[in-house]
Amino acid sequence: MGLTRGEKAFSVLNYLFFTVLMIVMIYPFWYMVMGSLSDPIYVADGGFFLKPAGFSLSAYEAVLKNVSILTGFRVTFISTVGGTAIGTFLTATTAYAISKRRLRGRMVFAFLVLFTMLFNGGLVPSYLLIKELNMINTYWALILPAAIGAWNIFVMQSFFRGIPEELEEAAKMDGANDLTVFFRIVLPLSKAVLATIGLFIAVWYWNDFFSSVLYSTDKEMWQLQMVLKDLISNTSNAIAQAGISISYQSEVNEFTIKMASIIVSSVPILLVYPFLQKHFVKGALIGSVKG
Amino acid sequence: MEASRETTAAVHSSSVASGRTLWKDLARDRYLYLLLLPGLFLILLFRYAPMYGIVIAFQDFNIFKGVKGSEWVGFDQFSRLFHSPDFYEILRNTVLISLYKLAASFSIPIILSLLLNELKHVLFKRVTQSIIYLPHFVSWVIFSGIIISFLNPVDGLFNMIASQFGGAKTDYLGSSAYFRSILVLSDIYKEVGWGTIIYLAAISGVNADLYEAARIDGANKGRQMWHVTLPAIRPVIIILVILSLANILEAGFQQVFLLYSPLVYDVGDIIDTYVYRVGIQEANYSYATAAGLFKSFVAMVLIVSVNKLVKMSGQDGLW
Repeated sequence: MGLTRGEKAFSVLNYLFFTVLMIVMIYPFWYMVMGSLSDPIYVADGGFFLKPAGFSLSAYEAVLKNVSILTGFRVTFISTVGGTAIGTFLTATTAYAISKRRLRGRMVFAFLVLFTMLFNGGLVPSYLLIKELNMINTYWALILPAAIGAWNIFVMQSFFRGIPEELEEAAKMDGANDLTVFFRIVLPLSKAVLATIGLFIAVWYWNDFFSSVLYSTDKEMWQLQMVLKDLISNTSNAIAQAGISISYQSEVNEFTIKMASIIVSSVPILLVYPFLQKHFVKGALIGSVKG
Repeated sequence: MEASRETTAAVHSSSVASGRTLWKDLARDRYLYLLLLPGLFLILLFRYAPMYGIVIAFQDFNIFKGVKGSEWVGFDQFSRLFHSPDFYEILRNTVLISLYKLAASFSIPIILSLLLNELKHVLFKRVTQSIIYLPHFVSWVIFSGIIISFLNPVDGLFNMIASQFGGAKTDYLGSSAYFRSILVLSDIYKEVGWGTIIYLAAISGVNADLYEAARIDGANKGRQMWHVTLPAIRPVIIILVILSLANILEAGFQQVFLLYSPLVYDVGDIIDTYVYRVGIQEANYSYATAAGLFKSFVAMVLIVSVNKLVKMSGQDGLW
């Protein structure tokens, strides 16, 4: 069946609309890349809206020499790897146990998990707890409180429910216990959901800055995003304090450095983005079907 | 007499039997409990211990005296909170900001996914999706950096353009007139693409015959969307709206925290930022815990009633 003239016009406008939308979505990132590559001398005049004004890698040199950014990378890397490993593993073990209907006390455990979705102790008691545990300025404070969450446990639990009981029964006949069943049969069958939940957790840790705000008084323990936050807001504070007449030259250098820092710290996420997108879409859909 | 003794004996022996099977069950599932234990421990420690910590909302908590040594004051912290003019300001800001965001996040992703669904060129559609999902993965820290540099009163892009056209330079982020709009618009920008996923999945489940039938009846694209697609995805829309109503007190802590300043407290300060500032920075632990408890409590009431509502409407609830 052919398209009517109205339908053709709609189709053209629709493609046009999404083309514009894509440009709007990409432009801020483009602007930052161009800003970061610009020569600080020309930046004051603007003119890097579409291409860099002059060309200089000095901002990137400055970023890669910046000790606090390197420290931030280290702290974030350690807490992301640690948090993802601990979080994914414990989400799986907890979910597996409460997925077994025969388990005595299952309803109580499931309710304990569910209730954390409905109610929480709030910011101040959580902060005082970490203080009480002497975890301030440790990796434990950045990793453990967020490692497992109710939502991920329930998503994984519903996946485990889908694994046929017969597999477990057959293994038990051959003398396997629950640990062997879990590690040798269930986990290998759950690679997809483990990857999805693992990525959810990893992105959370990579983007986290607020744990540092609360629990890292020592700059040596600042996560990368916290370092960035400090870098970004310092200039804006400086502008606010000095009114609008801040010395141009130094502010402009800070601008290119700021842009370069943002880009350097986004690279890891962008590198794994295709992978992320695939699993996140899957995860969002599992969650919605479940929910 | 005889009969009652028999019953007692029967009850006794059956409870012994069930005790025996309980131990047998526990022994049989010992490895499952072993798997459960570490996760359960983390939940008890990091989710339930802070719930116990809520008792300080009813105290005049002194960090050196601890929970045991601090003085109990009943509901004094709450009465201080409800009598403070701050409270009405932060409550109003929280609800307004999240209602604006809700209105946007409800309508725009639906329209976008209807339009996305009309893109027949597979590669174009896939590239579009990849690009509009991207901002969802970018942290609010990086995003706030973009916003701050675009809106910079000295040489931000917006002010550069405005001054080209002879406009005055404005400090948008420091202005109460613009602050909430910036929050809502930047939230739309970041999350709108991601918001289409669930609708797109629902739309792809619509039976193609329905469109064919509508076409034969002479319905154009617009009428097909209105009469076929929208009714088909209505359950999804209803669920998502109800669920976001339950989160009405979540106005977006990270975003506000990263963008606000004392200049815009009057329109931008929300419950969460207030609790952080007053509680952690100014160390008014008891008062801020009371404010936090107010929020957690209202949120719980909301989500429980919303779940009831969803179930009454015949859908599957959250639990």
